[in-house]
Amino acid sequence: MKSLLLAATLGCMTCLAHAAQPANPTPPAVAAKVALRGEPYGVRVAEMRIVRKNDILTVQADLENTVRANRTVFYRFRWLDDMGNQVGDGESWKQMGLYGLQLQTVKSVAPNSSATDLKLEMNVEQK
Amino acid sequence: MLTRSHLLVMLLALSSGLTACSSSTPPVASPVLRFDREVNYGDDKAVELVTNEFGSTDLQMIAEKMTGSLLETGIFQGRPTVTISTVKNKTSEYIDTTNIMNSIQTTLVKSGKVRFTRSINEMQAGVDELQRQNQSGLYKQHSTAKIGKMTAAKYSLEGELTSIVKDNGSTKDVFYKFTLKMFDVEEGTIEWQDEKQIRKTSKR
Repeated sequence: MKSLLLAATLGCMTCLAHAAQPANPTPPAVAAKVALRGEPYGVRVAEMRIVRKNDILTVQADLENTVRANRTVFYRFRWLDDMGNQVGDGESWKQMGLYGLQLQTVKSVAPNSSATDLKLEMNVEQK
Repeated sequence: MLTRSHLLVMLLALSSGLTACSSSTPPVASPVLRFDREVNYGDDKAVELVTNEFGSTDLQMIAEKMTGSLLETGIFQGRPTVTISTVKNKTSEYIDTTNIMNSIQTTLVKSGKVRFTRSINEMQAGVDELQRQNQSGLYKQHSTAKIGKMTAAKYSLEGELTSIVKDNGSTKDVFYKFTLKMFDVEEGTIEWQDEKQIRKTSKR
């Protein structure tokens, strides 16, 4: 009986771990630019493309929901200069719904040409 | 198996812990003036979901999208002059559209990529000041701003905000669309245009 309970508990914990971590997590190079608060609940940043257009840094990030349940993502980009200081006043937080197994691209443009780096701040809600 | 002596030891440990907690120093008071109703300063960048009427997050998202789109096109090569024309509110709500344009203008001015001239609404104050300097006789001749030296705008920004509202009693869906156009004043051509669409749904 005890071993059965232990097995069930371990099984649940494995399920929770799978729900929290996508099977194919955010690639390390992209993860270095992501500041994730809390659990990803199956959402990963599949790709991030950073391009300087007309002397202004622009970014596109592909957010992928790897599970079948819908997810709500809150995100914003934080722009940094070459000293690591924040550029501008900071973006507003945005809410975005991600359907099950959906990939959605979010984009942003730096507020001025002094931005040389960025961080994607995000957290994921299960509902 | 818990014996009576085990329980006694646990109770003693618990009570000594409680005593330690109660004797710890109280937290220092924050320098705030508070009454019965709890008031706090919140995050001005947080997603505002109080109602589905036009809110601060909508304003911020529109301004960010428009400024980002304008800056990345490279239309502001050579720091051209721009003025703000009309921004029509075609929704059923009272929305101060000047606020949206002010946010766009602030970000663009801070980017250093563009110069703004006085808008129609700001012109009278400028004219009044020029007249005061030149016609009041109060100022030294060489120190006054000369009349007829203003720089005209090369481009003019015109926008409009529309909404579609659907309500079936249990669900309310509001769809906002903000469209912004930049005209070449001399040629009358649209040199840039973008729009931001926002959907807000609430359930009762």
